Amino acid sequence: MAFPVKRLSSQKLLKKGVLEEELCTGCGACVGLCPYQVIYHDRTVQLHYCDLKDGKCYAFCPRTPTDLNALRELLFNPDDLTPEIGAVKSYYFSRAADSRLRESTQHGGTVTALMEMALAEGVIDSAIVSSRNQEFLQKGTVVNEKAALRNNAGSKFTVSPTVAAFNQSVNDKSGKIGVVAMPCQALALAKMRLKPVQVESGKIDQLQLVIGLYCGWTLSAEKFTKLLTQNNITLNSLRGMDIPAGKNILELYTNNDTQAVPFDDVQACVREACRYCLDSTAEYADISVGSARFGNDWEEMRRWNQLIVRTEKGKELVELAIKRGTLEIREAPVESLQELKKAAMEKKNTALRNIIRKSGSAKNLLYLDRHDPIVQKFLKNKASDKKSR
Amino acid sequence: MSKLLSPAKTEVLFMGNEAIARGALEAGLSVAAGYPGTPSSEVIETLAAVTKERKLYVEWSTNEKVALEVAAAASFAGLRSMCVMKQNGVNVASDFLLHLAASGTRGGIVLVTCEDPGALSSVNEGESRYFARMLEIPLLEPANFQEAKDLTKWAFELSEKIRNVVILRSVTRMSHASGNVICGRLPDKFRTARFIYDGLITDPLRGPVISTPVVAKHTLQQKKLEKAQKLFEDSSFNKYFGPKHPELLIITSSVCFLYSQEALSMLGLQKRVGILKLGCTWPLPTKLLKKYLRLTDKIMIVEEVLPFLEENIKVAAVDMLKEIGIKTFYGKKDNTFPSVGELNPDLVVHALGKIMKVKYKSLAENYTQEIKKIAPLIPERELTFCPGCPHRASFWSINNALQLDGRGGFVCGDIGCYAMAALTPAIGFNTVRTLHSMGSGTGLASGFAKLNAFGLEKPVLAVCGDSTFYHAVIPALINAQHNRADIIFIVLDNAGTAMTGFQPHPGLAVSAMGESVPAVDIAEICSAIGTKVAISDPFDLEGTSRTLTSFMAENGSLKVLILRQICALSPEKKGKKKFLMQVDEELCLGENCGCNRLCTRIFRCPALVWDRIKKKAAVDEVICAGCGVCYSICPQKAIMRTEAAD
Repeated sequence: MAFPVKRLSSQKLLKKGVLEEELCTGCGACVGLCPYQVIYHDRTVQLHYCDLKDGKCYAFCPRTPTDLNALRELLFNPDDLTPEIGAVKSYYFSRAADSRLRESTQHGGTVTALMEMALAEGVIDSAIVSSRNQEFLQKGTVVNEKAALRNNAGSKFTVSPTVAAFNQSVNDKSGKIGVVAMPCQALALAKMRLKPVQVESGKIDQLQLVIGLYCGWTLSAEKFTKLLTQNNITLNSLRGMDIPAGKNILELYTNNDTQAVPFDDVQACVREACRYCLDSTAEYADISVGSARFGNDWEEMRRWNQLIVRTEKGKELVELAIKRGTLEIREAPVESLQELKKAAMEKKNTALRNIIRKSGSAKNLLYLDRHDPIVQKFLKNKASDKKSR
Repeated sequence: MSKLLSPAKTEVLFMGNEAIARGALEAGLSVAAGYPGTPSSEVIETLAAVTKERKLYVEWSTNEKVALEVAAAASFAGLRSMCVMKQNGVNVASDFLLHLAASGTRGGIVLVTCEDPGALSSVNEGESRYFARMLEIPLLEPANFQEAKDLTKWAFELSEKIRNVVILRSVTRMSHASGNVICGRLPDKFRTARFIYDGLITDPLRGPVISTPVVAKHTLQQKKLEKAQKLFEDSSFNKYFGPKHPELLIITSSVCFLYSQEALSMLGLQKRVGILKLGCTWPLPTKLLKKYLRLTDKIMIVEEVLPFLEENIKVAAVDMLKEIGIKTFYGKKDNTFPSVGELNPDLVVHALGKIMKVKYKSLAENYTQEIKKIAPLIPERELTFCPGCPHRASFWSINNALQLDGRGGFVCGDIGCYAMAALTPAIGFNTVRTLHSMGSGTGLASGFAKLNAFGLEKPVLAVCGDSTFYHAVIPALINAQHNRADIIFIVLDNAGTAMTGFQPHPGLAVSAMGESVPAVDIAEICSAIGTKVAISDPFDLEGTSRTLTSFMAENGSLKVLILRQICALSPEKKGKKKFLMQVDEELCLGENCGCNRLCTRIFRCPALVWDRIKKKAAVDEVICAGCGVCYSICPQKAIMRTEAAD
């Protein structure tokens, strides 16, 4: 970034480099650390001026310059790394064994099942998940009891500042914490693990588990609410949403029926920051979970998840879940992994294109380091694309 | 017993304002009305304190225009009355003053204006002397404390001689400074009010009191002024001091006379420079002027701010050019003195020294250097809200709501203690973006809100105090409601006219004279206007923020929020702490990331102190008012509060 980093305060750098550039993903990493930043509706707001130069807000934000290599070294086995989807120890299809649980979840209920078990087995003492909120305003919620997790199950398509909840709730009494995180949030939590700022840096050690979610984009709550109103759908009546594979719509499940909104209309509501995101599979988590969208068997597959195990911790948890009968596993077809990598690569390419268009130059990748080996790979691909045309 | 009632012939130390009040009493004053305004407020306050001993009616009116009307009524009924205000109050009263000067008066009536050159307690340094010339009424200016009393007394006599209102003008250094005054006699007889109105319309003393027929009454008004001028020619308040043949003549009035005297003494020029002190500055006594203008060709005019005296003297001088010859004038026009800011003896010394070629160092050689050396040691004292002030809490919540809203909304400020939110932007958390006169915040907001049709999409807020509400805001509020200006109007109700000394106003059930009177409720007025009204305690930061945030999300209509919490300096609250506050040093994060001194750097209550050695915040128990608000501010909950014993 071209800002005089030495002279400006962290808060100002955050404002100029992220907030004003519409790069803010609403992850909540800069919130809950201090009284200066808050999240309101789905905007990050700076209430007062802070003049500190080495602040946590700037250090933790996933959209400020990041040493991705350092993160990979800290978290993963280099042999597991793939350029498209990060570290892959193993890859399955999975679903919660408890069929009652699966009724209230989006697809296979894998995340809820894993978190429930982690709590029950004492792997974690509390879980931070995004909560269901009537006005589509999500916030992170700390959950200590298994039953409460089910209440918060189901995908949300607007941003939830979950990391803010982590920041606010981590203290002497909160013990081991597990977080369900979007890719940007997993990245923020990983940056926190590097301990860039000394003050209270021990808190991040309480983070024991990060379950990441696949993500293509999130919606701006404001714009999406307007869209719903235009389609005569009230917020109160909306029970859930999904994107069926192959069709170009967003399905909305209300109390009475299912409605469909053209995907183009939904695209217009996508949060601007998502256009510059390279991570569709939450590469910096212990485990990443998404829907098992695969080919033509949508109706069958929609009740299953894809599961990527990335770290030792993730591996232990999944093995425990299999042992305890919490999770049903089946082998994923090879094509599924190929499709996933292809989709992930497309997202990276699109994001890089958008970044270069925004910055005006391939030498300025905004928050990405153009010398990072993985980033380089994709830049080269793009360069060779150009040449071949 | 009030020293205002001292017996005749006693020598008393009076503040200028007290001397004016005494002069009015000696003149047999019956009615006094005014609106609080520094530096004028003590005139009414001291009179209000002696209403039991003297047959006197004293009132704090809702604004200066009404105050002048109240005083005028007494004059129409043959009583002697006085109206008191600061310089900008005359602007407010001016419409009525214009008509009053035209209709004429009966009982002696004096308009006392106490001005603020240099704006020590104002947001302007306007001049009201010009009103005398423009509205064709006499202007008197006392030059010392004895004159403050004597000239006031004479002002009533003058007013009755010419049957018109007389302006008596003072300035801060007269009104608020003190000096010895020898008292005169207080009358023991009091007048009876008698309003005669069945004479002809052309009879100012017995007919209806009216400024028409305009040309006839205007002609009469100008004749009255000529009569005053004749009286001025022989007045002892216009006096010459100095040699028979001065090299330089100073013409001056008001406290500038004292500065001039001091300057002459410092420079040793008493034998070379003469001073013509004018106590009657409009209309100018031209015969007298001629006599002294003849003495020398060098004339220096010493006066505050604008060249009122200078220009009038120049005009008079041109008319008598053949008799007095051509003069060299030193004043504002030739930059001898500045036309802005307050005058002081040093400026006069400097000017005189240059013209008379006398060297005088009023400052030592190394003064500036020495000042620069110790300057870093002098603690910065910004204008700020008192510890325990509800306004700090109110602006905190306003800022929160504006930031959360995110559209760049702003506040139109108004006059009162909360005006400081504009004067020291940091204490208003940078929310106030305009500041003008009483009630103008709401009027401006009403205007800004209609600009959404032209693309201005920021939320518009206006604040005003409780006293300001009655003074000038109501018409602007009605305008906003009627013209559908979508504004959030916030009344900062701290139960008194705080900035000027906690005088009562119509929102309180007590009058200037301490009597029990009906209060007029702000919330009810707003409801009657038809707006949605919410009331909150500004000390409840969360509740207030919530209400404001929900107001900001609503579009389309005027919304009123009354933030009610009594002023920390109010007689009821003063000294009584609700809470005892203390900082837990172990919890305090200080300047580290996570807090960065939110309480001392941003919230800035004077009672919150940053200990530079311990690097922790602390509470100064002596000045802490015990309001407890800072408890809610600290992100670590390091500021602890316990309930204070009764």
